[in-house]
Amino acid sequence: MKSHVRLLDILDKAENGPIMAEKDFDKLISTTVRELIKKYELKYDRKDAIVTDDQVADAFFQAGLELAERVGVYCVSTQRRMIFSREEILEALRWAPAELEIGRGLDRVVVRSRRPEDPLVPINVGGPFGTPLSEELYSQIMESYIQEPVFDSVVGGNFHTIHGREPKTHSPWEVLLAWREVELTKAAAHRAGRPGISVGVVENAVTEIGELSGTSFGGFGPTDWHHVCFTSELKTNYSLLIKVAHLVKTECIIHDFCNPILGGHAGGPEGIALVAIAGVILMAVVNMSTTHSICPTHPFYNCDTAPEIIWAISAAQQALNRNTHLLTTVMTSPVSGPGTESLLYECATMATTATVSGTARIDGVRSAVGVVVDHVSGLEARFNAEVAHAAAGLSREQANEMIKEFQKHYVPLLDKKPVGKSFVEVYDLKTLKPLPEWQKIYDKVKEDVIRLGLPMK
Amino acid sequence: MEKLINDLLNCLDEGDMDKAVGIAKEALANGADPVDLFQNALVPVMTTVGDRFSRLEIYLPDLIFAADVAKAIKDEVQEVILKTQKSGADTYLGKVVIGSVFGDVHDIGKNMVSTLLEVNGFQVIDIGVNVPVQNFISTAEKENADIIAMSSLLTTSMPYMAELIKTLDGLGKRDKFKIVVGGGPVSAEWADSIGADGYGHDAQDAVDVCKKLLAIQ
Ligand code: B12
Repeated sequence: MKSHVRLLDILDKAENGPIMAEKDFDKLISTTVRELIKKYELKYDRKDAIVTDDQVADAFFQAGLELAERVGVYCVSTQRRMIFSREEILEALRWAPAELEIGRGLDRVVVRSRRPEDPLVPINVGGPFGTPLSEELYSQIMESYIQEPVFDSVVGGNFHTIHGREPKTHSPWEVLLAWREVELTKAAAHRAGRPGISVGVVENAVTEIGELSGTSFGGFGPTDWHHVCFTSELKTNYSLLIKVAHLVKTECIIHDFCNPILGGHAGGPEGIALVAIAGVILMAVVNMSTTHSICPTHPFYNCDTAPEIIWAISAAQQALNRNTHLLTTVMTSPVSGPGTESLLYECATMATTATVSGTARIDGVRSAVGVVVDHVSGLEARFNAEVAHAAAGLSREQANEMIKEFQKHYVPLLDKKPVGKSFVEVYDLKTLKPLPEWQKIYDKVKEDVIRLGLPMK
Repeated sequence: MEKLINDLLNCLDEGDMDKAVGIAKEALANGADPVDLFQNALVPVMTTVGDRFSRLEIYLPDLIFAADVAKAIKDEVQEVILKTQKSGADTYLGKVVIGSVFGDVHDIGKNMVSTLLEVNGFQVIDIGVNVPVQNFISTAEKENADIIAMSSLLTTSMPYMAELIKTLDGLGKRDKFKIVVGGGPVSAEWADSIGADGYGHDAQDAVDVCKKLLAIQ
């Protein structure tokens, strides 16, 4: 974001763009995606785990850019399309930062743009990423991530209760949820000796209420980074644009995300890759965001580790990272939970895929697809980050073969919901160390993936 | 019937709405029994469509298209039925008001459920996302719906499902509608605990539970 003038332009477009029914916009997306897949001859090939060909990546980028230009973004609140010319889009991409400083003091880190096969290690973000957490365990679970030096930044979970009550979004409770997140995350950071670590916030802000309140005096601030998403597919609304306006005026870093759904309006693997590319480009324009995340999602397993999705992520990331200097991010959202081997193989797959595809920042781990209370722990996220360190500099061909091996260990379980164990069953609450059984599984899988060729330390 | 079913499936593959409606019209003009056509051609075709979707051989846009075709053919059938004054003039299985609950904008799963319900012959009034409790109730009353279906993907929006049931109770209107709930964090046990009538873990299950609640075979 180099100037606030664009915000006015965005709000103007949301008010004055052409009117269209939401259903017709969905249809516009599905027909345009189908047409572009044909035009650019994009084809998912089951025999490859990831894309390994620059030409394929570049074709995806051109198609994604064309999609962004042709459909634009739909503002649900005004029922209008916000349309951007190719020049406007390229201008925004040209001025987007290729570097970003987050955190403060000794915990300050710089996120840098990467290219596919780049030896530069990506930035690593750990945390439960919205998984519902018991209020009593919230701070300890957060500490289990912050205490790991491999993490450059962290993200919180959602409260299962709030001051012992049932939490309800879009109500005064959302304000209290945001402030409990501030309080308990900061306490964990202090205990872990990393008071300046940046936090991805406000995780409990389901609507604008939590964000407006939590990003104010004494709350989260400009050295943290703040979530604003698109809804599926390629949509925004006033609740999200209120967040954007607030964050721009409070000089905060905006982090975006979009989660195209496999089998939804975008269609199959090629389609979700295209919508992810167009989504990142358009979020950079509309949300004025500096880091950009995707988590294409499986409609029945709710994960992003299914083989078609892994391939789509590799296509989208290589397209973006070869053709722009945007600070891209990928989210690890596996079906397995703590205490299972399969969880670590899902992590190995995603972290390797993203790292060799040039992703600037690797996020995770949203274990058990982030829906089972307390089924998360610092250890799997540490593993994810360690894989990212090891995979930096590998060739895509090498990674392709390894990932096929990793996938054998979890793909047959995708529909089995191997949600594993809860935090209290895998960590010692006094020492905040993994219990021996979980540590043993970690050690074993680490040895296995080293044997498969991943140079983990 | 076999041929009719195959022809209709081909039209869906080709995305040809006019041809599909034409085929149905022709069958009716040639004296096919409208109720028979509906039950023994359209229903199996749409069941096949649902199965293909659950294997991801086709996607949401195909499902939406199939639902549009089903609606168009149903209109034709309905017209013939009304003309011939046969009984069972209402070819809808039932009326469902569906939406994502207050505060929640997750809607992909809800859209899949709503489309598959339509494909299977329900009349669906989709009132979108972020729907306040009161809107569910007033729409269901206005439309004289059989079922209120709520989708929630957030543990923090789920409480609005319970609130809707409590509100209906408080208004003395709980018996007017069957309540069905679903979405990521919702479970059968939770549905039970708030006094919902049904729960569905995926779109096909949603169809089955709605049929069961309205006692359709
Ligand atoms: C895609 C997605 C999004 C997209 C949604 C796009 C859209 N238009 O729907 C976007 C990016 C907008 C988004 C935003 C947010 N999300 Co979100 N999202 C997801 C994700 C990855 C997948 C959900 C999905 O679509 N799955 C695919 C569909 C097909 O599955 P489904 O909805 O479950 O539907 C199936 C069944 O459940 C059933 N069903 C569904 N509805 C109904 C209804 C009835 C009546 C019946 C019978 C059956 C039924 O049938 C469907 C078909 O099989 C989940 C992760 C997960 N594990 O679920 C998180 C998740 C739901 N999101 C989460 C969060 C926290 C958020 C945000 C608050 C993040 C933030 N800080 O901004 C915002 C909230 C926005 C809001 N106000 O609602 C959390 C919720 C945690 C919690 N508290 O419970 C999850 C679990 C991820 C996580 N751990 O962070 N998200």
